[in-house]
Amino acid sequence: MSGTGPDVTTSHPRIEVTVSENQSSPEIEVRIAARPDHLSVLRAVAADLAMRADFDLDAISDLKMAVDEACATLISRANSPEDQLVCGFAVEADQIHFTAHAPTSSPAAPSRESFGWRVLSSLTDSANTWVAPGDDGVPVLRVDLVKKRLGSVGQ
Amino acid sequence: MTDSADDYEHLTPLLSELAGLAEDDPRRPELREELVTGFLPVAKHIARRFAQRGEPQDDLVQVATVGLISAIDRFDPERGSDFLSFAVPTIMGEVRRHFRDTSWSVRVPRRLKELHLAITAATNELSQRAGRAPTPSELAAHLGISRDEVFEGLEASNAYRSSSLDDMLVNTDSTLSLGDTLGEEDAELAGVENREALQPLLRQLPERERAIIVLRFFGNLTQTQIAERVGISQMHVSRLLSRTLAELRAGLLSP
Repeated sequence: MSGTGPDVTTSHPRIEVTVSENQSSPEIEVRIAARPDHLSVLRAVAADLAMRADFDLDAISDLKMAVDEACATLISRANSPEDQLVCGFAVEADQIHFTAHAPTSSPAAPSRESFGWRVLSSLTDSANTWVAPGDDGVPVLRVDLVKKRLGSVGQ
Repeated sequence: MTDSADDYEHLTPLLSELAGLAEDDPRRPELREELVTGFLPVAKHIARRFAQRGEPQDDLVQVATVGLISAIDRFDPERGSDFLSFAVPTIMGEVRRHFRDTSWSVRVPRRLKELHLAITAATNELSQRAGRAPTPSELAAHLGISRDEVFEGLEASNAYRSSSLDDMLVNTDSTLSLGDTLGEEDAELAGVENREALQPLLRQLPERERAIIVLRFFGNLTQTQIAERVGISQMHVSRLLSRTLAELRAGLLSP
């Protein structure tokens, strides 16, 4: 994760990380098989980015847990462990923008009344999820999260 | 055991008396303290047996004493067994749990362990001053080290499992009963759709873990605010939250 040059790509049998950095906002994309044992990689990426972006320790931990929760949801709703989970992290001036998507077997997005959604919305400043048809017509579940540098709680 | 059961014979009537008192009887605290003091040699003896495993002796005595208190509170003389044969396994269990919960999960060089402790102490101090968690830059400035070293120390912290040592660095005389922070969860849960599945899972959690979940997700407190209320470090709150969330998720997913 230390690549700082433009468009550094490393690959692994199942994990592919792309770092493309323009002047102000580094973007990192992780493509990974939708399997629960890959959650630790995504947590590590989230925590490392937030730490290096100088987020406070609460926010680093919040983002790490939110990414974990979002990806666990995407993985549990994927069609098979062979499906690809695609995660994007954009480090912006005062926030980290996280997007993730994977094919899904259920046509409906996760309920906003669920405990999982309560967790996601408590941990982030903005959380969104929806299902839209992918290129091949298979439904794709998307999650979009924003974590601001200073949390809105208790400041 | 070098301690003979006869040494504690005089405490037996006190145990029966304590068991017979109502929850809110004003004589309870005094009686309980007398029993804890009386049986303290048992806790110390057990702590000594676990010495030389790399944990400070004072910690072990403290943990063994927690086990002793819980044994005194839970002992039921009506059941017919004697106190020591009930208390010894309870105390040993507490000490074993301490070893399970507080150790580095991978071998970490001494320098990083020290860095981890320095960062934990600095985090507690800065949080208390500012009322929010510090950033890596603030930690670096406070400790007079580079940001890269702070990153290293924070990464090393990930290899540390729940730690009483961290918590000893928290300067708090929190007397908050966790029960005080609960009680409103039923009302809060009313808005949650899968509460029928969630409630039994929450009830199964240890009191502290349940309090932390409720305060974070239903009380909207930050981890730093929770750390202060519960009297443990922010890093410990972070670890407990992640672990408990994963448990709840597994519980909600399983049929």
